[in-house]
Amino acid sequence: MNCYSLSLRHTMTKHLNLVFFLAVWCFSPLVSFAQSPIEIAQKIDELLVSETIVSQTNICDDETFLRRAFFDIVGQPPSLEDVLVYGLEPSVNKRSLLIEFLLTDKTYGANWSRYWRDVIMFRRTNDQSLLGVAALESYLTDALNNGVGWDRIAVDFITAKGDIREDGRAVFIAAQQGRPEETVSEISRIFLGIQIQCAQCHDHPTDRWKQEQFHELVAFFPRVALRPQQEPRSFVVTATDFVGRRRTANANNRFVGTLEHTMPNLAEPTQPGQVMTPKFFVSGQTLPAGTSDAVRRDSLARWITSPDNPWFAKAVTNRVWAELVGEGFYEPVDDIGPDRTPSAPKTMDYLATEFTLSGYDLKWLMQTIMSTQAYQRSSLDRRNYDQIPFQANTIQPLRSDQLFDSMMSVFEISDAGSEGAGQGPRRPQSPRNVFADVFGYDPNDPRGDVTVSIPQSLAMMNSTFINEQIQARQGTMLSRLLQEVQSDRAAVQELYLRVFSRRPNRKELNTSLAYIIQVANRGESFEDLLWALLNSAEFKTRR
Amino acid sequence: MTTHQINRRSWLQTSATALTSVAAWKSPIIANAAAMRTNAKACILLWMGGGPSQFETFSPKPDHANGGETTVTSTAVSGIQISSQLPATAAAMKDLCLIRSVHGPEGSHPRASYVSHTGYLPTASVKHPTIGAHVVQHIGDQESELPSFVHIGRSRGVFSAGLLGVEYDPFILNSANQMPANTELSTSRDRYVRRLGLLENLEDDGSTEGSRQFVKANRNLYGKASRLVLSPQMKTFDITQERSDVRSSYGDGNFAAGCLMARRLVEAGVTFIEVASSNWDTHFDNASRTDTLCQEVDKPYAQLLADLKQRGLLDTTLVIWMGEFGRTPRINSRAGRDHYPRAFNVALAGAGVQGGQVIGATDASGNNITDQPVSVNDLLTTIYDALGIDSFHENISRIGRPIQIVEDGEIIDGVF
Repeated sequence: MNCYSLSLRHTMTKHLNLVFFLAVWCFSPLVSFAQSPIEIAQKIDELLVSETIVSQTNICDDETFLRRAFFDIVGQPPSLEDVLVYGLEPSVNKRSLLIEFLLTDKTYGANWSRYWRDVIMFRRTNDQSLLGVAALESYLTDALNNGVGWDRIAVDFITAKGDIREDGRAVFIAAQQGRPEETVSEISRIFLGIQIQCAQCHDHPTDRWKQEQFHELVAFFPRVALRPQQEPRSFVVTATDFVGRRRTANANNRFVGTLEHTMPNLAEPTQPGQVMTPKFFVSGQTLPAGTSDAVRRDSLARWITSPDNPWFAKAVTNRVWAELVGEGFYEPVDDIGPDRTPSAPKTMDYLATEFTLSGYDLKWLMQTIMSTQAYQRSSLDRRNYDQIPFQANTIQPLRSDQLFDSMMSVFEISDAGSEGAGQGPRRPQSPRNVFADVFGYDPNDPRGDVTVSIPQSLAMMNSTFINEQIQARQGTMLSRLLQEVQSDRAAVQELYLRVFSRRPNRKELNTSLAYIIQVANRGESFEDLLWALLNSAEFKTRR
Repeated sequence: MTTHQINRRSWLQTSATALTSVAAWKSPIIANAAAMRTNAKACILLWMGGGPSQFETFSPKPDHANGGETTVTSTAVSGIQISSQLPATAAAMKDLCLIRSVHGPEGSHPRASYVSHTGYLPTASVKHPTIGAHVVQHIGDQESELPSFVHIGRSRGVFSAGLLGVEYDPFILNSANQMPANTELSTSRDRYVRRLGLLENLEDDGSTEGSRQFVKANRNLYGKASRLVLSPQMKTFDITQERSDVRSSYGDGNFAAGCLMARRLVEAGVTFIEVASSNWDTHFDNASRTDTLCQEVDKPYAQLLADLKQRGLLDTTLVIWMGEFGRTPRINSRAGRDHYPRAFNVALAGAGVQGGQVIGATDASGNNITDQPVSVNDLLTTIYDALGIDSFHENISRIGRPIQIVEDGEIIDGVF
């Protein structure tokens, strides 16, 4: 081990100082939740064992847990200092302390805002909404960091009005150009986990929803419109309560609302369709024709987020569980009801109920799930369908932002200051956005379906940006490391710690040292080693 | 891979709708007919992004106020006249099948472009595959060292393989005048190969029982990517290797280079190439701007057809000229034309298409289709048919819905 040289050097711990945290904790009371996450977590494990016959209780080691928790909460790996300090910390409940501490870090909000941004924006049908992405991220980051409840966030999106560059809440509707059919489909998919849009043209083939029920849901949204605005160019979510302009399919880029929604007559498309009144298919609650836009959307938002509607808590609980444990109770995560069977129904229901009682507190949900043994098990590749679920935490490909931040962290550089770039479809792209063009994937899709692409490996292997950063010349992380650590063995160990948050095993160490001897040029061989580590599967996954 | 050939029988048992049973009945007949006729191997889509004016290209109306100042020229086929802004194309008319009666459902650029590439309106729940993805999935060469689907040029929307998975996504060249991004080695070839060896050895040393899938997928991918960058075929992307007289025969500009690159790629065995031309969105100064655009496109387009023909590749290569919609018959107050999806033009050539003919017509004003209306889905069905692809083939969405390649399309009468 080579810890000594490390403290001599200034390492750029970007946001965390675990030393500080562990010291302060000794004198400060824990944040207390209404329902203790640790007790709930124990019950979840008991239920899960009874439902899925978990055969192993192989809990992962501390190094793995640290890296996993960092990626899952703050979206980036621990720094070298974090790894060393956490390894030396003797406290028996250091995992709980770590989770609590990371949830208070502002990067938590940034990380999960990017997740929800992708949940919404990967399904956009309107690229103009990209103008509002920065505002959307900023709204979500603040809401998540401030512990705003998931119900409040849902209400904000459903009832939003305003300029998408100023108010990120309006971007949800703008992503579908304010079109009522697409907007309510997304509300149902994201907040209820129900894919009711299949009933748009015909009765749902495998679920119980009828075409009429879909159009009754659409009837909450006909008055919404998206208006373009010049100087500065933007789009504004508005509502038309008085002027019912006809919607025309072929208007140049424009989309305006109507007073009431009409279900098209599919048998006789030339005939006028049936005017629909708003009715929420889950609860059967209705509103009369003529109701104002504000009342329609407020009512829908209230009914969707009501504790009486079980789908609201289940949808988000299932999603967060899937992100953290690696597999949802339901897969895909946005198709959970009503006629789907979860892999552990009692566990799912219990967690969703407790989440509702917490006041839809997302930090509580994270802390609870991460306190379970189900979360803390060693990781395995995704199971086959015929294997029992939740025997292990499932290895996941990093999301684009996580991978980007990992590289930044390894290279000890920052993209701060370039976030403003690339907010519009035709603006210069920030490095993060360029990276996302190649590495981004839709987090709604089952993670097992996410495949890697040739342009991704070309970028990792050959891009100028990465190849400049891995050089051993002056000014890079590698040059500092080689300068300060004279022993090759110690330098290999430190490089592994920096890139993978773990030490190399004996074989890896021997292969690396043999390579260094073979190349007979210290700088060159370490460049190649760093290149190989960054291009390995391990660097691109969270396990 | 995320898609599966649907088991039609089980689907019909759960939901015997009229539409799917017709599909199941018709499908094999159409597929066989196509397979008997075509031995098409490749397709080039020349995408006129923004929506080209039909009045200034293939449907001039010199005898009507809506026609503006545009004059006509005779073509190599007597009785067929097109805009005099396309002289080289006029000379190639014997190879072209013009369709003057295409109509689409959408008037906004992104939505209409999506429809033209996928046959579907955009939805949040299903990402429909673009034409090139379907084509390479069905007739692409899986062994090719070059990517089977190449998109050339920055255009407003580059559509993806959607539910078919990234395996069928386009490989994007920003410009035919540059090598593709990240394909130039950052070190010497020897050192690059040495690095790949180190990567492989370290992954062998480090992989544990539980992480084999990711390591295997990574190795497979790096194998493919490194074969590509080390392949002698990479020189296909180097347009400077082309003889200077051939380069000049295509004319100047990015679109010309794109057309020449498309021919190079077809020759090298690439299956689908989309070459994007943009800026056809002429809301003002339509006549003069379209004139400039026609000059950029006319010569390369005609030369591409001639070059493919001369090399014996036109019989097996379908060449499509199209945009997302046409432009309004009435000229607006800024001397421009706005979006018009109700009647626009597409041109097809090669792969068994009967050249030297016009299909469909509009009235004297250009407002209405008067003969043989062709929907976008009819057009797509015809394109797939020309390439020997069963457009009734169904892929399964993430949530288990069967999605046909094209719904409600008919093969256009008289194209073949």
